Amino acid sequence: MNVTEYIASGILESYVMGAVSDQERREVECLSSIYPDIRRELDQLSEVLEDYALSHSVEPPASLRSKILSQIEFKEPEKPETIVRPLPVDVPATTGLAFRMSWVVAASMGLLLLLFSFFLLSQLRSNQRTLASIRTSNDRMQAEIRQLREKKNQTDQLLAVVRQPGTRTLKLQGNEKAPNGNMLIFWNSNTQQVAVQVQSMPPLPADKQYQLWSMVDGKPVDAGVFDGSTSSDQIQRLNRQVGRADAFAITIEKRGGSPTPTLSTLLAMAPVNA
Amino acid sequence: MKRQSSLVSESVLIEKLTQRDQQAFQWLYDQYSPALYGVVLRIVRDDEQAADLLQDIFVKIWKNLDAYDASKGRLFTWMLNIARNTAIDSLRSRKTQPFAAIRTDEDNVHIVDRQHNTEQPNPDHIGVKEVVSQLRPERKQLIDLVYFGGYTHEEAAEELNLPLGTVKTRVRAALQELKQLFKS
Repeated sequence: MNVTEYIASGILESYVMGAVSDQERREVECLSSIYPDIRRELDQLSEVLEDYALSHSVEPPASLRSKILSQIEFKEPEKPETIVRPLPVDVPATTGLAFRMSWVVAASMGLLLLLFSFFLLSQLRSNQRTLASIRTSNDRMQAEIRQLREKKNQTDQLLAVVRQPGTRTLKLQGNEKAPNGNMLIFWNSNTQQVAVQVQSMPPLPADKQYQLWSMVDGKPVDAGVFDGSTSSDQIQRLNRQVGRADAFAITIEKRGGSPTPTLSTLLAMAPVNA
Repeated sequence: MKRQSSLVSESVLIEKLTQRDQQAFQWLYDQYSPALYGVVLRIVRDDEQAADLLQDIFVKIWKNLDAYDASKGRLFTWMLNIARNTAIDSLRSRKTQPFAAIRTDEDNVHIVDRQHNTEQPNPDHIGVKEVVSQLRPERKQLIDLVYFGGYTHEEAAEELNLPLGTVKTRVRAALQELKQLFKS
């Protein structure tokens, strides 16, 4: 707000001359209460008009003085309490109204507050619902990710085995003792490593394991043990070196394996096609 | 310029007045009635009507004393505004070509002025009158039209055949000139 410009605009002159709109009048009164410079200019201009009015002074008729004095009610100089007396009459009326008004205001504030809390509560509830459903779907996705990761590990292991040059894949079908038996053997004669992938084999009691045998010159050689009840597609590397094999065979043995195969539990056998 | 009351005595006066003190009111009347009467007479241009209006004005002042706010302006200015508004309102309600006399009959204006100003000269105000007479005529004419005639700037512009901007500038110039004149 540029006070100097405002003063120079002429609005203060118009104000003291009574030639402003109500809005301008309020504006001048407001600004003059804020800016001392405007207040000062306004006072000076008022004094100018006071002097101007004084310059037009005319003594009124002498009879007018008593006439006017007779129309005006004066208070006799009295004790303060009698002056105060009319006040209590006025006060209850105004406070009564003010009291009622404040109740109305308080009640509507309370109502507003109540409505607002309902609004907040419903917001909170819908947020909680959304959060719960997001949490569920998040759990589901994490489970899926876990599964996928497992699957990927298995695939990686499988690929690592299969990729090595010289790895041969043999498919073993179960005989009449395990009609649904079905598994793969990966064997690399260069690295002498052997691994199995159980696709479906009969479940075994806890104290039993499957044992793989490599047939070398008609004699079975221990090629390691593996579990049958692991999740399908898992590759199990066997910790025996197999340099030569004419065929592979599977028997059920006690946990840890046996030095010689129990022929009665022979489940599958497949020749290695050289 | 000799002011009629200092701020201190004015605040004392107001306090006494709000206590509805008769002496204070008498002092107020003696002090300000010539100025208020002069303004009213200047507006309505009729002795009898001006006397009636002066009664109304003092009753109004008395009744509205509680509404007076010293922070918004001086008491005299406040009273002047009541006097001026009351007189202008009365003039307008009469509807008998209210401003015709002021506007056109310049001779009459001077007669009235001379009549009232010379009949009962007030020694206190002679200096002021001399000062005002130094004001440029076209500025004085405009001030009188707005202040005593209750003209808005638009009405004054139409009356004097001047652009509105000129009227506004001239009102400001007139008051600033008076300010300088009263100061010296």
